[in-house]
Amino acid sequence: MAKILNIAVSLSGSAASLITAKYAIYLSKQLNAKLYAIYVVDDRSLHELLKTRIFVEIEAVEYERDLKDQGVNALERIKKMAEMKKVECETLLLKGVVHEEVVSKTKEFSVDLLVIGELKEIVSRREIFYDEGERIFRESPCPVVVVKNPERVESLYKELEQ
Amino acid sequence: MKISDYLKKEFCIMDLKATTKEQAIREVANCLTVNGKIKDKEKFINDILERESLGSTGIGHKVAIPHSRTEVVNGFAISFGRSKEGIDFKALDGDKVNLIFLMGANPSELNLYLRLLAELSRLLMENSFRRELLSANTGEEVIDIIRKYEASGLVR
Repeated sequence: MAKILNIAVSLSGSAASLITAKYAIYLSKQLNAKLYAIYVVDDRSLHELLKTRIFVEIEAVEYERDLKDQGVNALERIKKMAEMKKVECETLLLKGVVHEEVVSKTKEFSVDLLVIGELKEIVSRREIFYDEGERIFRESPCPVVVVKNPERVESLYKELEQ
Repeated sequence: MKISDYLKKEFCIMDLKATTKEQAIREVANCLTVNGKIKDKEKFINDILERESLGSTGIGHKVAIPHSRTEVVNGFAISFGRSKEGIDFKALDGDKVNLIFLMGANPSELNLYLRLLAELSRLLMENSFRRELLSANTGEEVIDIIRKYEASGLVR
């Protein structure tokens, strides 16, 4: 029987993505799978803001550095959390267009299951094509788990033996 | 989350009294402080002005987007001001500015801030969007216009 060997989780660094991380650790533990935690510094927005001159160069550099720091923190945190639950976890800090990077790494590491945070409400067809979460969901080469119900996730995570 | 989720009618000033850039920033920022989105009004305004000192956020097409990422904002905040006479923002194209969107975000909301700032800049590149904002009569109308364009698929 084919097994789920590799799970990936896409993190945004937000408070909500901590729940996504916990569920990814939970699944990895239950399925005895390796976990890849991915954070992508979204430099497309930065480039757009530079191009439209809303940002000056020094500002964009500062924001990019802060986004990278946020990514490093998010990845260090999930790495520690995974270690506590005895789950093997490899972290990937990338830069580029979020969905492209996530989909690319999902293929590269033969990921069997991709875990993402809750998708935002869609109000237009445009968002289906341009929202990064939607695009990861639609373009992923493997099955995608969309994490919901934070209370339930917290409870499952707590119950996981260390 | 979208711009229209954050912009409220109380955060829209349809006829600014300001005649200078600093006055305009103070006036548009003031409606956010009155409504509790900002913890320290003077610090917020100073942060916005400090950013302006790096280069004008008057991006042309009669639009300015003064902004700052600062601890004194609760989450994310946006307000709108319109000047009928226009204000000298030292804009890139040299024109006076009629439409001002002022944005602030707590550093913890970095991703959201960048996404909404980029989204707003895309909307403002649309001629018809700017035209409709210039002829809106009320804050409610401004929000409706933003909602319409967010949902339209006309931009980007």
